[in-house]
Order: sequence, then C-alpha cells, then structure tokens
Amino acid sequence: MNLFYFSSPATFYRLAGWMAPWFFVLAAILTVAGLYMGFIVAPTDAQQGEVYRVIFIHVPAAWMSMFLYFVMACYGGVSLTFNTRLAAMMARAIAPTGAMFTFVALWTGAFWGRPTWGTYWVWDARITSELVLLFLYFGFIALANAFEDPRRGDRAASLLAIIGLVNLPIIYFSVQWWNTLHQGSSVSFKGTSMHVAMLWGMLLMTFGFWMYGIGAALTRVRAIILERERRTQWVRELKFT
Amino acid sequence: MDHSFYLAMSYAATAVAIAAELVGLRLRRAKALRGIDEERDLEAQD
Repeated sequence: MNLFYFSSPATFYRLAGWMAPWFFVLAAILTVAGLYMGFIVAPTDAQQGEVYRVIFIHVPAAWMSMFLYFVMACYGGVSLTFNTRLAAMMARAIAPTGAMFTFVALWTGAFWGRPTWGTYWVWDARITSELVLLFLYFGFIALANAFEDPRRGDRAASLLAIIGLVNLPIIYFSVQWWNTLHQGSSVSFKGTSMHVAMLWGMLLMTFGFWMYGIGAALTRVRAIILERERRTQWVRELKFT
Repeated sequence: MDHSFYLAMSYAATAVAIAAELVGLRLRRAKALRGIDEERDLEAQD
C-alpha cells in the first residue's frame, strides 16, 4: 500500500472521519477505567491523604502537553521539508488540544500545590517552563492565523514550533538541572516508587488522554480540510448529514 | 484535613476544558459547512 495515498486531504478526510469516533470511544473506556483505578482501587497516600489523586489528571495532562507539542513540531518539520499541505493541517489541528492539556496541567498543578506547598503558584523552573509551553502553543496558533495566505501561516508557525522544541528538554530536566520546589519524576524508564494501583491509574488516564488527543486532532483536521478545500470539486460533491 | 475542594476544582476544570473543546470542534465543523454552502450558492448563481 502506498502511504502517500493518505497524504491527500481528500483521502485523509474520509479516513479521519472513520477513525475519530473509535478514538473517542477508546478514550472514554480508558478514562473510566483510570478513574476507577484512581479513586476506588488506589489507596490513600500516607503523606498527602486524598489530595494526591490530582495526580491522575495532572501527570497525564503534563505528559500529553509535551508529547503533543513534539508531534506538532514533527508535522511542522514534515510540512517545511516536503511542502505537504496535510502535515501543516495536522500541526494546526493538534495545537489547541496541546494548549488545553498544558492549561489543565498548570491548573491542576496549582490546585495540588496550594494544599501541599502552601501556594497556588511559584516561579519554579518546572512550572515556569510549562507556562512557556502554553505561550508557545498560543504563539503557534496566533502565527498560523496571522496571514491571509494560509500556506505562509503554515510555514511561519512550523518554524516557531521547531524552535520551541528546545523547551521540551528544559521542562523535563528542569527538576534535575535546578533546585526546584516541584518534585522529581515518580516514573522513569528505570522504574517507579509508586504503588502499583496508583501507577496503573495514572497510565490508564494517560492512554485515555492520548486517545482523546488523537480523536480531537482528527476531528479538527477534518474541519480544517473543509475550510481549506471548500472550492475544490471533491468537497463540493460531498454530501453532509 | 479535607482537601475535597482542591480535588473537585481540578477534576471540574478538566471536565469543563474538555467539554469546551468538544463544543468548539462542533462549532468549527458547522462553520466550515456553512462556508461550503455559501460556495455552492455562489456557484449556483453563476
């Protein structure tokens, strides 16, 4: 099968329409399972009590905020290198969902910080670099829509996304490079110090957010394709229900 | 200590953010479809 077949907006529009609902269904199942693990199975934390259960959305949202930025920048790179329309559209489709997850990570972090650190906000390296990530998403969205010619917007925003990649290792390693109030990683490739039920709850929520992110990006890219291709013959011949 | 307020605010804000995004997705598709309808009307007038 020729993979370039799916790089045509007309083909991908139909494929995305078929796939998106399944990703939303998967997201719902995984999120319900994650919440069950997080609230019913996982024990109360010995030090923090019940408030630690913010972890089941805070950490998955923070991971997704960085992962989606990476994927968005990759699409930006493909768009710049091969001048493909669909890659630029995918980058645009991912940005709002990535920004939403970044906002959720910051918000839930604030509401976790208040009872545990005594403050909603501190200009800590991890939190500040995550805030910079939110501004990078906003910058990408603003730049992509700042030009009358969408292809110029694609190129400018893709370049910004690639430059902004430098922020991802800063976020990840900030807790090692600087003396931060934010705790270090509880989970790494070497292992974890978490209770197994807590870990499973967090992983299930992460996969749930991941599936949601794909579903949302596929749904949004369909709207972007329709906006961009509305004067083409294949869009005019589409029948909408 | 009761921390239910902080938990509720975290989960409620996440639910609102996701709901707002889903509504935004529907609105954007509806706007795109209106744009196509306008194109079809223009074409029919020509």
